[in-house]
Amino acid sequence: MIWIAIRMLTGDRQKFYGLLFGIAFSTLLITQQLTIFVNLLERGASGVYNVSSADVWVMDPVSRTTDVAYAMPSTALDKVRGVSGVEWAVPHIRATAAVRTKDGDLEGVAIIGVDDATLIGLPKRMIEGSPDVLSQPDSVIIDDVGMTRMFPDQSPIGERLELNDQRAVVRGIADAIPSFTSTVVLYTKYSQALNYVPGTRNRLSFVLVGKADDVSAQQLVDRIEAQTGLRARTREQFAGDGVDFIIENTGIPLNFGITVMLGFIVGVAIVGLTFSLFIRDNIKQFGALKAIGVSNGRIARMVAAQAGMVGMVGYGLGVLGTVGFIHAFSGDPTFKGFYIPWQIPLISLVAIVLIIALTGWLSLRTVLKTEPAAVFR
Amino acid sequence: MALLPKNLSFSRQILPLVALAGLVLAVIYIATGLPDRELSEPTEEPPRAPQELANAARVAGAGVVEPSSEVIDIGTAIAGLVTMVRVQPGDYVTKGQPLFQVDDRAVRARVREAEAQIGEARAAIAEAQSAAATAARQLDLYRNVSDPAAVSRAEVIRAEGEASAAQNRLNAARARLQSAQAMRSSATTELGRLVVRAPISGEILAVDIRPGEYVSTMGGNASFIRMGETRPLHVRIDIDESEAARIALGEPATVSPRGASDRQVKASFVRAEPQVVPKRSLTNSAAERVDVRVLQVIYALPSAASSNEALFRVGQQVDAYIPARRNGATTDIVKPEADETE
Repeated sequence: MIWIAIRMLTGDRQKFYGLLFGIAFSTLLITQQLTIFVNLLERGASGVYNVSSADVWVMDPVSRTTDVAYAMPSTALDKVRGVSGVEWAVPHIRATAAVRTKDGDLEGVAIIGVDDATLIGLPKRMIEGSPDVLSQPDSVIIDDVGMTRMFPDQSPIGERLELNDQRAVVRGIADAIPSFTSTVVLYTKYSQALNYVPGTRNRLSFVLVGKADDVSAQQLVDRIEAQTGLRARTREQFAGDGVDFIIENTGIPLNFGITVMLGFIVGVAIVGLTFSLFIRDNIKQFGALKAIGVSNGRIARMVAAQAGMVGMVGYGLGVLGTVGFIHAFSGDPTFKGFYIPWQIPLISLVAIVLIIALTGWLSLRTVLKTEPAAVFR
Repeated sequence: MALLPKNLSFSRQILPLVALAGLVLAVIYIATGLPDRELSEPTEEPPRAPQELANAARVAGAGVVEPSSEVIDIGTAIAGLVTMVRVQPGDYVTKGQPLFQVDDRAVRARVREAEAQIGEARAAIAEAQSAAATAARQLDLYRNVSDPAAVSRAEVIRAEGEASAAQNRLNAARARLQSAQAMRSSATTELGRLVVRAPISGEILAVDIRPGEYVSTMGGNASFIRMGETRPLHVRIDIDESEAARIALGEPATVSPRGASDRQVKASFVRAEPQVVPKRSLTNSAAERVDVRVLQVIYALPSAASSNEALFRVGQQVDAYIPARRNGATTDIVKPEADETE
């Protein structure tokens, strides 16, 4: 019986492929749009995720994200080190500067100064060179996306830059997730960064803290805030702050959210309409089946099998399309670090299942009510 | 599906298989493509609190290594050309040992001049003495003549005058001798001042003077030789003034140099400076301004076995952990913690 349902489904190739295309396209639309949306928002947290060893970030009470930070006096480091439960704490400076390239062009860059002795604060992986190159004088490490912007079609290694009238030589390329604005990032030592960034009174942007084993990050955050009066955030909280900042301060969530929403609605509408049309077209066949004595329950199972088959195939192709899309663009710097969060295919799966079940049920109602005589009219 | 093995249908068999394979592929891709957000341990050892302070109340500070005498910038009392430098960096000198020598030819000439004047004065004294003796004998002779008619009154007066004048010349020559001796003594003192000597026993840290260079008493903070007592070394730890109330003064501190934070040593308490001073930042920027004040606490470092194995050198930056006071401020901090455990 189920097999008959499947043959019924695939019998009319045009309709079958139309249905399949509708579902696959909707899945692609929902999954791909949501993926890009989530990844764009997570660009706001890339600064936090690029630092792989800090459990807790400590900052001035008014600082909000990695890029919107108010500098603290240098003794803040020692205040944080004095808190019990702090395994280690290192200084971290983040600032913007204008760099003059060899051609004389001016480019805005982000300078990230990492702890001199331990180099805590660098991204986990390097594309070229090792973190040790920072021990050479006037060294900076450029991030890979910044490299493609600043030095298109050439290796940046050994290139000389001018920062605040000082010499800087690119000696390494870091594998980092770009920020929301894709600013060129130059990593250097803390002491060197102080020279590269035009002087303000206080320089220390963040204190990166590693927690002791016997405290949780949240406990440590509370202790640091109580003892030092500074603002402390766990890694996840601070990453969330970066995302929230983008949501609050840019039109991305609203504008892009509307697009995603429209994609979702369009996808849902296509699936719903094509499937309900398909059922309606087959009302005669179902009537004939009823006429030869097939029970309503069995017809419902047949429709469920049809829905399951077309939904599974369509969804599978749609997800495959999304994966193909993300994979195809993964080499592009704009899409660097984009990934498909595992929740998103599940969301689209739930959406597809819901909408097929709903339209299937709606159309089925008419089938179930159909008199067997309908086939003779 | 196995019912119709020969009639392979694209839409009924191949397509579902393709979709299934696509799903599996997608699951694998998504699972492996998730971003790496694992926390990693730092590769280099960052400065950590010592074991016994790991979970205790503590105060942290950064500081600089200095000699226990603090650094002495040796100056010169007299300006001039340097003719000889007797020490080099790393030498351990005792108190009073010559460090460098300023050109002394002019002063030596003055010594010889004074000596010549002394000789001249001595000769004048001898001459005056013999003249006085002659005059005295002459006067005696006239006085012993009993016959008043034999010597005229005028002769006697002249002889008396000569004796007195000879005596005065003798006195003047003696005064010249004293003056010449004083001159020689002054020149000798100056000769001594041209040799700059170590004010204390200690190590020569830096020598910034070479023979032939001109040393001047003007120009303020010029330091020609820097020295200090490096046995033992001290560290001057800056503690933020807001933390200063928490520190347990008198307890030993755990100190590690920058870049070798796994090698921690115990440093014993020496004193806390009575004055809270603006923090001296180490960015070397000329436009540097400060608004943070720090309490400086001084600790003595244990001595190293030999200079080659020395962990600490003068001027090096260190990180320090000091126990906090048990009572007072610390109890305030424990409170939120207690709330959590409840």
